[in-house]
Amino acid sequence: MTFDPEKWLTSWRQAGAWSLSRHDPAKEGLRVSAFLPPQALVRCAQELRAARYSLLDISTLEAREGLVVTYHFDSLDEPARLAFRALVSRKKPVAPSLYEVFQGAEWHERESADFFGLIFEGNPNPIPLLLPDDLPGPPPLRKKEADLAPLAKLGLLGQAEILDPDFGDLIGQPVGSGHQGSQAC
Amino acid sequence: MLGGPINFVNPLSVLESPGTLTGDFYALNFEKKAKSGRVILNLGPQHPSTHGVLRVLCELDGEYVDRAEPVLGYLHRMHEKMGEVKTPWQYIPNLGRVDYLHPLAWNWAYVGAAERLAGLEVPERAEYLRVIGCELNRIASHLLWWGAFVMDLGGFTPILYAFEEREKINDILQIITGSRLTMANFRFGGVCADGDERFFRLIREFIPYLRERLKMYQGLVTDNIILRRRLEGIGPIDVDMCQRYGATGPILRAAGLPRDTRRDYPYSVYPKLEFPIPTGPINDCFGRYLVRLREIETSLAIVEQAINQIPDGPVIMDKAPKATWKLPAGESYWAVEGARGQIAVHLLSDGGKNPYRLKLRAPGFSNLSLFAEAAQGTLLADAIAILGSLDLVIPEVDR
Repeated sequence: MTFDPEKWLTSWRQAGAWSLSRHDPAKEGLRVSAFLPPQALVRCAQELRAARYSLLDISTLEAREGLVVTYHFDSLDEPARLAFRALVSRKKPVAPSLYEVFQGAEWHERESADFFGLIFEGNPNPIPLLLPDDLPGPPPLRKKEADLAPLAKLGLLGQAEILDPDFGDLIGQPVGSGHQGSQAC
Repeated sequence: MLGGPINFVNPLSVLESPGTLTGDFYALNFEKKAKSGRVILNLGPQHPSTHGVLRVLCELDGEYVDRAEPVLGYLHRMHEKMGEVKTPWQYIPNLGRVDYLHPLAWNWAYVGAAERLAGLEVPERAEYLRVIGCELNRIASHLLWWGAFVMDLGGFTPILYAFEEREKINDILQIITGSRLTMANFRFGGVCADGDERFFRLIREFIPYLRERLKMYQGLVTDNIILRRRLEGIGPIDVDMCQRYGATGPILRAAGLPRDTRRDYPYSVYPKLEFPIPTGPINDCFGRYLVRLREIETSLAIVEQAINQIPDGPVIMDKAPKATWKLPAGESYWAVEGARGQIAVHLLSDGGKNPYRLKLRAPGFSNLSLFAEAAQGTLLADAIAILGSLDLVIPEVDR
């Protein structure tokens, strides 16, 4: 079996992806990624589960455009690391839970909830995991407005093809553009 | 609970009807789903079998575990936040504290992610020293796991043997790292110190010594009928469960899949070294035990080749980054094979003084998350065996 990243780009395009990205695996550690609309996450996770992928982790960060939730996957049969991402509002951070597909998502989601105040709808046990239940103050990994960096600067887009015009407006890239910002090396 | 006294559920409480127990937030939350007449057992966080400070709430039906829920966070130190408030260089000593049993693998995951983001070249001698240190460290980690695991099952003696070998490894690693715990000899672009004549001599003496001792372990422990009865057929964890929970490392390999980051995503000089990837033959507690013992032999073979192949040369690149070095803007996700599975670091920089975001993927976190399902319906004593067979290091799980 050989890893065909194009298969996943096609699948994500059909799922209504906002953008598709190719990455330099030597530097960025993965071949392809996509920003998916939140309602497509569970279905795309089901496709990966059926293709014998497992969920490695859920890595959240706060950027100027919103909270970016990155789901890293790898195949059980071959080295084929890839990721899809969701962009959710900083004011009302809600994402669907992947628990029904990958039960391991429960803890990763609770960790992101602790650190960023994210709400994962459908998580079966949405209580604090690593932080105390009565920790005062805002979630500890949220940043001050002035410290927020734009998505394009963080290199999350790699060589991206923007598909959704609203998403393109948000990140300042026209539809169909191949973003070069992070490819300077 | 923050800063105040911790009010746990009574160690052994029979649930008369829902809402009758006292306890802290987690105990009360756990009790909500319990059935009448069940015993709620609070195990840990200070319990010898919950290595470090893991707490597990169990709903018991007689002697059987009907439902279990690990409660984490007693050793949580927010390493990810510290990664955002320190420069990359200042953060290196943190990594040894994430997993004190395999600190060099965590060093490597972080330093490696930064090196790839910045495009730094590491001298070949430094790569060999990294491999030697990381593999000796893996042996020490597996040995300590072995001793502690057998102690969980009631056998006290083996941990004394395990500590004797581990001390010898610490003597060796002390030469290149300067410490015996929480080691941090990795630098961006190399390592901080070269090995001297004594370093290589001690390794040459240690390899045949440990091989002899492993034969003794086989007779003393592995073939012991009590150990076999406690482990064989207990806690099967198949590929499907590994896939659903993201389990990696010896757990996935015991389930039969030869997945190993050193082979799948070749890094450093591992492609120049020959080593098998032990798998199976069975996915129960005993299978995971066997895989780890065989990995000790594998690591010995890697170290033996490495000390014969190591070239002369510098151990750190010219003009290596210093304390005020800034990462270039961008993203890097990089993984190494730790003693417990795939350690990954997701590092993002906006070009500022400190990293913008640092995510640490701890293999123990994903491995422990399957415990509730694996322990369901087992005897309480077998649940302890399953917990031990997952090789938990709580500082890594909690980070």
